[in-house]
Amino acid sequence: MNYVEWLRVRNALRIYAIVLGALVVLALIVRISINGQLSSNEFIVSHIQSEPGTVVSHSVVNGLNRATYVNAKERTTVTIDEQNDGGKLIHIVRPAGNHVTSTQHANVVSIQMSDTQKNGMESITFNTDGPVSFVIFLGIASVAALVFATIWGCSFACEQGHLEYALLKPVTRTRYGLGVIGYDILGMAIVAVMTVVAAIVCMSMFEWPHFDFSHVAEPGTALLLLLPLAWYAALNAATASLKRGSGAVIGFAWPVGLVISSLAQIPLQDSPVGNVFHTIFWTVSRIIPITYLNGATFSDSGRYNNEGLPVTIRIATLIGLTLIYGALTLVQWRRVEA
Amino acid sequence: MSTISIKNLRKTYGPYVAVDDLSFEIPEACVFGLLGPNGAGKTTTFKCMLDLARPTSGTVLYDGAPLAPQTLERIAYVPERSVLYEWMTVAEHVEMQRRAYTKFNLARANELLAQFGIDQRKKARALSKGMRTATMVALAIAREADILILDEPTSGLDPVNQRHVLNLIINESARGATVIFSSHQIGQVERAAERIAVMDTGHLALEGVVDDLKADRKIVEAILPSETFALNGLAGDPRISRLDRNGRIVRALTSRDAQDVLARFEALGASGLRIVDLNLEDIFLYAVSPSDATADVVEDR
Repeated sequence: MNYVEWLRVRNALRIYAIVLGALVVLALIVRISINGQLSSNEFIVSHIQSEPGTVVSHSVVNGLNRATYVNAKERTTVTIDEQNDGGKLIHIVRPAGNHVTSTQHANVVSIQMSDTQKNGMESITFNTDGPVSFVIFLGIASVAALVFATIWGCSFACEQGHLEYALLKPVTRTRYGLGVIGYDILGMAIVAVMTVVAAIVCMSMFEWPHFDFSHVAEPGTALLLLLPLAWYAALNAATASLKRGSGAVIGFAWPVGLVISSLAQIPLQDSPVGNVFHTIFWTVSRIIPITYLNGATFSDSGRYNNEGLPVTIRIATLIGLTLIYGALTLVQWRRVEA
Repeated sequence: MSTISIKNLRKTYGPYVAVDDLSFEIPEACVFGLLGPNGAGKTTTFKCMLDLARPTSGTVLYDGAPLAPQTLERIAYVPERSVLYEWMTVAEHVEMQRRAYTKFNLARANELLAQFGIDQRKKARALSKGMRTATMVALAIAREADILILDEPTSGLDPVNQRHVLNLIINESARGATVIFSSHQIGQVERAAERIAVMDTGHLALEGVVDDLKADRKIVEAILPSETFALNGLAGDPRISRLDRNGRIVRALTSRDAQDVLARFEALGASGLRIVDLNLEDIFLYAVSPSDATADVVEDR
């Protein structure tokens, strides 16, 4: 019954698959071009290896191989321990450039690094197979789904000009409308899965990721999943009755939404006029789904951090907005005339 | 097979009245022509019949029941303008119809599209206006619906394909389908339609069986002795539905008893008397042409 909607979703997915395929190919080209430099410890030890006076020794510790590079002249020692999971733990001790005492941590996907400087020496540890929070993938998938939620935010308006076909199917308008929504949500779910798969493929070309699912079941994940749905519902509620101009609504939705939700965060209560504006922006922002991402952040480990509204309120509001906007869309669809 | 009953249909858009107090019945297996000048309300009537536009008041009944979703399985509609999805191929439109309607005859659709010379691999945007119309007609005919509603189904078609569509309409009626169609080509309506309704500014101006309308309506033409010659109350004759006077020439549109009217003119001393048969175009024009346009030559007041 919703064949047209399926074709529309399928065509969009085809284009997205081509884009993702191009990104994977690009990642493959990068991977091939740096082959032998980043694939192992060679990149890290290449410098010390080329220095005269470097002594290399191999040993077995707890059944796993260890390579040690020592250059007494440079006062540098590099220890590379193979690990059970296939990764490597690389420990570099070398003179520090200054005598500042500091400790820094950084994660680049699966590579975890810590750098400690003390007493004029620097100790750097790389774990090439650190855990990668799956929430990061869900975040990327959510962004992709948001893009498609925007594209499909005028699904009902797209039927204007074709209502003689859409409305004369032998089903109720509500059922037809639910079919449209169903296909779009299915499309967004497929987009999310495609995005996660492509991200994993790209990453695995460099280092097979060691997933950490520990924060997946936290409320922050629900926020990521709900946001595209609420945004999709809001855009369709805004455009379902429009015979023309739905593209403009979609185009302006993001900038307007971001501006209003940002202005709502700025305290302007110093003056009566500012107070009025703040109240207006704050009130309007409550019905804009992307507002509910304000103050919601995720750490490198995928842990959800919340500022402002409690996460349960955010989730409940997004569910409520999704249902209200969905119902508004269907009410308009039931009343639309050719 | 279906009888369609329209009762007191009214549709307004703000202050504009598109259809006003329209009532007529369409018997089953009938070819029904809906005529009217531009803006008469034909398309709005079709839309109200299909619930594509909600009537302000009045009812449309199919076999005595209002339109329901399952009724749409039995109704095929061709709108006056293309509603094909520009980005879809003709084949995808065929598939769309096949999936939506249980009675859709795929082989028939392929056959009709081939007859119209339409390449199914083409996207709708690549089709000419006529080809789009032909595609929509083919998709509707292949539905094998009980009721076909066709709004200007020959618009943009070349004469060969116009004739083809007309034959398809007649064949559908022979199959037992009720066909309602509008056209500005009155000759086509005259050829295909058994019954017609003429609409003018949202109102029903005329309705009936084509042969009866033609049999009843005659023009009695006469030449009066002078331009100022008094007609002695002829305008009030109930058999005369319209009287046009142009100098000495007077034409009376009769709805019955043309010979009796002719005798009245003869008794007045008029010469050049004759009874002219009307074709459907004449009937249409007499039904819709504004009376004030000829007011100065009509009436003997």
